[in-house]
Amino acid sequence: MKVIETINLSKIFEGVVPVHAVNQVNLSIEDNEFTAIVGPSGSGKTTLLNMIGGLDRPTSGTIKVNQIALNELSENELINFRLKHIGFVFQSYNLIPVLSAKENAEFVMLLQNIPAKDRIARVEALLKEVGLEDKMNNRPSQLSGGQQQRVAVARALASKPDFVLADEPTANLDSKSAENLLDIMHRLNKEEGITFVFSTHDQRVIDRARRVITLEDGKIISDVIQHEN
Amino acid sequence: MIFKVAWRNIWRHKVRSTVVFIAIALGLWAGLFTSAFTHGMMNQKIDSVIKMEMSHFQIHKPGFREELQVKLLMNDGENIVQAIQEEKEVIGVSGRIVTMAMLGSANKNGSVRLNGINPDDESIVTGINEKLVEGEYFRGVERNPILISRKIAEKYKVKIKSKVVLTMQDMEGNIVAGAFKVVGLFDTQNGMYDELNVFVRRDDMARLLGVGNSLHEIAVLLGRHDMAESMADKYQHVYPKLEVLPWMDLSTGMRMMIEMMDTYTFIIVGIILVALLFSIVNTMLMAVLERVKEIGMLMSIGMSKTRVFMMIVVETICLTFLGAPLGILLSYGSISYFGTHGINLGDAAYADMGFSNVIYPSLEYMDYLVVSMMVIIMAVLAAIYPAIKALRLKPVEAIRKI
Repeated sequence: MKVIETINLSKIFEGVVPVHAVNQVNLSIEDNEFTAIVGPSGSGKTTLLNMIGGLDRPTSGTIKVNQIALNELSENELINFRLKHIGFVFQSYNLIPVLSAKENAEFVMLLQNIPAKDRIARVEALLKEVGLEDKMNNRPSQLSGGQQQRVAVARALASKPDFVLADEPTANLDSKSAENLLDIMHRLNKEEGITFVFSTHDQRVIDRARRVITLEDGKIISDVIQHEN
Repeated sequence: MIFKVAWRNIWRHKVRSTVVFIAIALGLWAGLFTSAFTHGMMNQKIDSVIKMEMSHFQIHKPGFREELQVKLLMNDGENIVQAIQEEKEVIGVSGRIVTMAMLGSANKNGSVRLNGINPDDESIVTGINEKLVEGEYFRGVERNPILISRKIAEKYKVKIKSKVVLTMQDMEGNIVAGAFKVVGLFDTQNGMYDELNVFVRRDDMARLLGVGNSLHEIAVLLGRHDMAESMADKYQHVYPKLEVLPWMDLSTGMRMMIEMMDTYTFIIVGIILVALLFSIVNTMLMAVLERVKEIGMLMSIGMSKTRVFMMIVVETICLTFLGAPLGILLSYGSISYFGTHGINLGDAAYADMGFSNVIYPSLEYMDYLVVSMMVIIMAVLAAIYPAIKALRLKPVEAIRKI
């Protein structure tokens, strides 16, 4: 089943010289995929990811997530859509520094108005899943980069999204933490069927990805399935 | 959770937040205390004006107040005094003969307002007997005793038992004079009043002026300040040919002074609140701008604009409310203390302007409530600009910020 579909998707950044960050991209991502969007800096992978995540609007073309056209949604509808359907993992973790690991992961569910009992149970299960059951009450400043990114993964999954978008999730991590994080995401993909879409130039992520889409100058130049799950 | 995040955000920069809430506390204290000070000053002035000068209302022949013409007498004044004395709300009534006179001593001559009074009635209405600092209240001298203020005594270089001469015009316009012996010195703490007024017995003055039992002025003291206007109205209807005026209209400057003081207080409190407002806006703007990435992330993961707005507003209100109770408590404590012990302004010019040298600040609970409400409104206003600034952020741009 198609989770994400883009049709002739383009994004032009206006300026003295207009830049075609994404140029006529046609792409579909199925449920349970573990996909890496790769390419050199400026190839348009982050812009593509932002548009898929409803954070940025295309100049032309269509993005459909679960058959819903994101370009037809208003700003507020988009926020609500992101809350219910998309999980985000950012390059620099972006946790709320004044909340503990548990509260950070719980935050999205709070925005979804999920009852406290369900929230607590899910957060504890998720933090256990990412190996942070003994760090639940630590604040981000008391966690390592790898641990913070694992909290970010738990937060992204807390809302039970249709898929998780991860923008360079291992860029700020040492190799051990990066491997550890990839293990967790890979396991979640395999065992729980969670769809992950990465933008990355980290070879470790590319090696683990089932499908690798390569962008250059805003266009897809290759789309390869490396190995089956 | 929004409250929790807002509360914890305040403590990210402990020093900055502490400085802001101390500024709020001190600002609020300054506003409330200034308000209490002027309030106390005006209340004392009003009390002084009522008690010493005007009473709650006065009755005259129309035109008398303007020129103090001896001829403008109320011939049935004694009957009016008796009628008013029967009123339940009336504490005291003083019938006076009043004229401008020349006071002369061996050293100096000058004009004074000469009040011919019935000592017993006057002691109830103005309590001038309680203001004596030297001598006795119309006792010790049989013929022509006079009470003067300590200020006049110093100015004219006279003392108890000194002789002074009062010169004035009688009913026929003739110049008449009488020698009076100083029996008491009073000090009302109201410089202007003290420099102008002297008191003699009404009978002594009536004899000099030849006015018999007629009166120039009837001053009435009531149980409550707020009844002055209605009682004056009532007696104006009873005596339509006379002029019956409440204290606020008798003292032309008083109404204006009360309004001016209210405006002055409002402006001072306003300036303080505006200064605080900008201080809070500045702090919250800094708080928003240094969290651009974080706010962008919150919007990215699905935090609605309303919730982001609320988070900033709650944060601002929390910041304000840390300082506000402290300021109110500080104000309450200092106003209560100085309300009992007073603030001595020394020999400042305030006394010459008719204000007491010792001010007792006072503030009603309603004033605390009004200022608290103003602080809440200020906090919400202070939150609006930073919150709008936060709302204008585009998540995709905000999360890229370093």
